Amino acid sequence: MADIRLNEVTKDYGHERGVFNLDFEIKKGEIFGFVGPNGAGKTTTIRQIMGFIKPSAGSIEIRGLDAYSDATETKNYIGYIPGEIAFPDLSTGHAFISSQAEFWKLKDLSFADELVKILQIDLSANPRKMSKGMKQKTAVIAALMNDSEILILDEPTTGLDPLMRKHFLDILEREKAKGKTIFISSNIFQELEELCDRVALIKDGRIIDIAVMEDIRNPKKREYKIEFLEKDDFESFRKLPYEFIRIKDDQNQVIIKIDVNNTGKLIRDLSEHRIKFISENKYSLEKYFKEKFDQFEEGAEDD
Amino acid sequence: MVHQKPFEIAFIFFGFYGKSKQLFVYYVHAEERGGHMGIIEVENLTKDYGFKRGVFGISFKIKKGEAYGFLGPNGAGKTTAIRHLIGFSKPDSGKARIFGLDSFKHYSEILDRVGYIPGEISLPQGITGYEFIDMMKKMRKVRDDSRVEKLIELFELDPSGDTKRMSFGNKRKLAIVVALMHDPEILILDEPTSGLDPVMQEAFMQLLKKERRRGKTILLSTHIFSEVETLCDRVSIIKNGYIVDEFPMSKLKYAEDKLYKITFGSSGEANELRARLEDNSIWICERQEGDTLYIQVNDRNINEFLSILKDYNVRLFSHEKLTLEEYFMQYYLDDVEFKGVSHG
Repeated sequence: MADIRLNEVTKDYGHERGVFNLDFEIKKGEIFGFVGPNGAGKTTTIRQIMGFIKPSAGSIEIRGLDAYSDATETKNYIGYIPGEIAFPDLSTGHAFISSQAEFWKLKDLSFADELVKILQIDLSANPRKMSKGMKQKTAVIAALMNDSEILILDEPTTGLDPLMRKHFLDILEREKAKGKTIFISSNIFQELEELCDRVALIKDGRIIDIAVMEDIRNPKKREYKIEFLEKDDFESFRKLPYEFIRIKDDQNQVIIKIDVNNTGKLIRDLSEHRIKFISENKYSLEKYFKEKFDQFEEGAEDD
Repeated sequence: MVHQKPFEIAFIFFGFYGKSKQLFVYYVHAEERGGHMGIIEVENLTKDYGFKRGVFGISFKIKKGEAYGFLGPNGAGKTTAIRHLIGFSKPDSGKARIFGLDSFKHYSEILDRVGYIPGEISLPQGITGYEFIDMMKKMRKVRDDSRVEKLIELFELDPSGDTKRMSFGNKRKLAIVVALMHDPEILILDEPTSGLDPVMQEAFMQLLKKERRRGKTILLSTHIFSEVETLCDRVSIIKNGYIVDEFPMSKLKYAEDKLYKITFGSSGEANELRARLEDNSIWICERQEGDTLYIQVNDRNINEFLSILKDYNVRLFSHEKLTLEEYFMQYYLDDVEFKGVSHG
């Protein structure tokens, strides 16, 4: 059974705002990324999963429970970082963490302690007066300290500097290893690329594509940039039956695309030419989505 | 106030170069004691806020037309350095100069020719975005509205609302429009895209690339490595108020030492090649994962390497480029101990 299942979910705010016909599931132990521009519907989707708002049509199941009508019960499984963090009026971060621990009926705070150390946060400050990064870190601790099995994270790295982002992503890697199910939205492709099993691209309330990260990390086709030492080598290689993406005559340089099954052949062909260097133009989630995005836009124009 | 001329000829020097007689004229700024001049210069700048906060004797120069990246975590000193360049803070010691002018003394002249986007945006309250833009237009003596209008359109900014009620993203867009509207020669940008969504971030980066092509000088402080990778010519890494590294981006983009990840038909083949390579000192076999070897080869040895590799059944051949993020993280491996929840 899927941990999270969206059945043709629509939330229509009118004027084309909202989300439309979202239909996908997230398996137990899966890390599912959610990316798209502001206003595309990421937070609307997340708020429905959290049971804060009711879908106009369709339904969401969390471990077989209805996300909206069983919202109190689903919270037992879910750790949540909201996109906009608002803290209650408490004097210190400590007081906030303690109130959260009470809410979870959590006695053992050792995991929370560990998180405080990793994220290097000073909890003696008033949470409402904290900087954006500090607020974000406090919210991270509150969401993770209960060791919940499902984590719903709405742009959790916003406001974190690169170092803290790295620490936070390391924490998520560890949670992943523990078998947690994680739903994470982000504006940053790179951080989803390393962490996620699948990533959905949402635009104007609709899922444009769901990328399987394994296919992007290990694509069937690879692009290489090769520069040759001499014109002769360059000219001779050009005559071979490769798919040339770009040829730079003045630099004796080519970019070719090959099927990975032909890797051995490429190495043998290259060993008969003198080259200056070979480097790879890596495929990325960003490139993948750019292609999908352009296809989507073209499709929209054709309508 | 009457200011000194920005450039004065300090000395003229005649010399010979090669076989032809040539006249060399070195224009050296009066305040400069020789050396190569940057349009932005920070020299031994120290500002000590106590508690190890601030910047301590940092120096860097940015040439005209160059895009320079500033990387470091929060609190490393990026904003402190920038505030000194803009002339908002007075150094404890050392110098910050733009166009050869002392930043603190000449800040109003400098701001007329510099586009500055602050890290934390605070706008005057009780006015609309339009009123703020008009105010800044007067201050920057902008007479032509076409650039302002283009920027508003590009960033899909609606400046009609009260600045107080604007969203974080809208405030950011307003700051961008106001910073760029007088077409300044230099752009000093302190985390300019924070709060913008990816589409707007992309639009902003495209704009910066265009500005750079137009010959603008750019100082970009950011947390987003890809922005530095696409835009910057040189980068510095700041840690605890010190510049710990400064390097051209080409060092990473076109590194001659390349790490290849090569997967063979079997782990037996990988073992065999590994044993064979160990006799050699011109490549380094970094590690093995079953049928996969990670081998570092310098470009000058690549042909010799390929002639060995061709006799093996190579299934995958990847080039593992060191990313700016990985490079950056090498400087930040040590951790500070902080108190936990229950000891607080």
